[in-house]
Amino acid sequence: MTLSLVLSLFALALVRGTPILLAALGGVLSERAGIVNIALEGEMTAGAFAAALLSYFTRDPWIGAIGGVAVGAAVGFALGFAATRWRVDQIVAGMGINLICTGGAAFGLIYVFNQAGVTPQVPAINQALWPMVLLGIALAAALQWAIARTPIGLRLRACGENPHAARAAGIDPLAVRLYASTIAGGLAGLGGVFLALGELNLYSDGMIAGRGFIALAAVIFGRWTPLGAAGVALIFGLLEALQFALQGNIAWLPSDFLQALPYIAALLALLGASGRYRPPAAEGKPYP
Amino acid sequence: MLDDVDLTCEAGEIHALVGENGAGKSTLAAIAAGEITADTGTIERSGRIGLVHQHFALIDRLRVWENVVLGHEPQRGGAIDRGAACAFVRDLGERYGLEVDPEAVVETLPVGIRQRVELLRELARDPGILILDEPTAALSPSEVERLFGTIALLTQRGVGVLVITHKLDEVFAHAGRVTVLRRGRVVEERPISATTREQVARAMIGGEIPAIPAHEPTHGAIAVRVAGLAVPGAIENLSLQIATGEILGIAGVEGNGQSALADALAGLTAFRGTIERPHSIGVIPQDRLLEAVIPNWSLLENVMLGRERATSAKASWRIDRAAARAQCTAIVERFDVRAASIDAPLSTLSGGNQQKLVVGRALVDNPAFVIAYNPTRGIDIGATATVHTELLAARNRGAAILLISFELDELFALSDRILVMTRGALRGEFSERRFDREAIGRLMVSA
Repeated sequence: MTLSLVLSLFALALVRGTPILLAALGGVLSERAGIVNIALEGEMTAGAFAAALLSYFTRDPWIGAIGGVAVGAAVGFALGFAATRWRVDQIVAGMGINLICTGGAAFGLIYVFNQAGVTPQVPAINQALWPMVLLGIALAAALQWAIARTPIGLRLRACGENPHAARAAGIDPLAVRLYASTIAGGLAGLGGVFLALGELNLYSDGMIAGRGFIALAAVIFGRWTPLGAAGVALIFGLLEALQFALQGNIAWLPSDFLQALPYIAALLALLGASGRYRPPAAEGKPYP
Repeated sequence: MLDDVDLTCEAGEIHALVGENGAGKSTLAAIAAGEITADTGTIERSGRIGLVHQHFALIDRLRVWENVVLGHEPQRGGAIDRGAACAFVRDLGERYGLEVDPEAVVETLPVGIRQRVELLRELARDPGILILDEPTAALSPSEVERLFGTIALLTQRGVGVLVITHKLDEVFAHAGRVTVLRRGRVVEERPISATTREQVARAMIGGEIPAIPAHEPTHGAIAVRVAGLAVPGAIENLSLQIATGEILGIAGVEGNGQSALADALAGLTAFRGTIERPHSIGVIPQDRLLEAVIPNWSLLENVMLGRERATSAKASWRIDRAAARAQCTAIVERFDVRAASIDAPLSTLSGGNQQKLVVGRALVDNPAFVIAYNPTRGIDIGATATVHTELLAARNRGAAILLISFELDELFALSDRILVMTRGALRGEFSERRFDREAIGRLMVSA
């Protein structure tokens, strides 16, 4: 293998890994605050669809991008609101959000564009692809520092470990969880924007393809730390890139198997991680 | 829960709040500290009211300094000034005799040290009044002395300390005033000098304390024989014997292998060595909510739990509900479990009544061997007397009883023989009821 081939493989790994990375950072944020976030998939879908839709109608991809992040954040807010104010089971709420977002996007395609499966081509921000990759990595480092070192980070962790103790220290765990879930939705929405307007210039049904769940695996395998989750997300990206590179080069291996590679890896990673890594102590538990 | 309660805690005084379980002490503390809101009434305070919970409300996976400064973190350049935070914890610790490593992760610390962390966390907020809810429930005798040393320092600095307890020894050794709460009402409030233990105890339970049956000497054959017991990480080469009609007391500070010993004897953990014990066994586990009951289930279901076959005469696939109801009712009556009905969820009972049900379930079939692990932890005088009476009755019927307790008074009241457990080994043997409190206390803390 030549050097240029290796470099292009890693470049592709960064591009494929970034949407997973962005969603995983959101996952870390909300889970450290105590909210299980299986809604990442739905938040990415909502972000991607909204971005394509807004870009199509305004002809301005930046409005699309900002709108995608905002819609992702709104979905995150909905999850946080249901989990904190209504004390809904977070897994059930997350599943519901995933179904609403994927179903809503499919419905929106037909309702708005009168065609199933895919939007027309929309103005994109492909030139911002690499800045967004770098932004993702910088965000991982910044979040790592913020969670470990800043007062806000300490309070966030306190809410995920023992919201009653946080309350006694004068912190409002419900507000912290709601903010964290909202920002998490925004980050996952940005992941969707990256896919729809960064890599491509459209939204199509199934384009998220389980990346929200892979991001969740990255959160767990990265031990709920931003840098850990980012690293694992990029490894999943590398597997996707490998899959591209190998396709058609190994005659005896079905391409379906290669495509399944990242998912199989995520499953194996979770099997290896199960029981060994401890999630935040109060994760998934309604407060008060 | 509470009805028309007046309570005053003055600056610089130690005020004891006593009462049985379910009397409303913890509720009153939570209201005073602002954690829950009362329906009517007012709270006047000079300065903050700090509350140290019975079950410590620390964040186990954070470091000591993180727990202490949470919510008022010293900052430098947007980040927490870790050095300043640690120095703050050290200074505060030195001032009040609460030394603890600020960098330690809380979950790695023993119970006594965790309590220091919780005290530090409250003191960091400069309280005018400090409420301690059952502060000595899990402490060794020397730790209790140390705690009251710290409390004395606090009162010298003008802090009012309200201690919630049901240990009258501590009340009369340290407090200046005592308030007795019964069923949500204040039934007595006096300076310590103007009352007696008996008077306070009567006020707490609203009557006379049930007498414990006489401790008749019994001599029996060896019923339980443990030789060369080893449990990885907890016990190495432990041997002991218990005769029929004997209560063997195990003294020791929590975390010295007592749990492993109880689990091995109950058949709950893997071990090496030999254990010979009767087949019929009754277990009173150490952690009621974790190991003994399912709180949302009813009394009836909890009584049947694990004994589904004991209620029917012959082996059957069907639970004999009528027989189970009769048996549950019998336990409720004999062990004085106060509940609205046997179909009420167990969680609606006070801790003491839950524990009486657990003890009743363990003893109702007259097992030949009983493991009682802190059988009266956190329960009140009346319930404690019931449990003690029943344990002695089981002994007098010929049961071999292993009593593991962190309360020396309980061990002295019940045991025929006491062994001290430290670091997974048994030391010292005190028999024929000649118990030397000081010698046992020294052995408990020796390495």
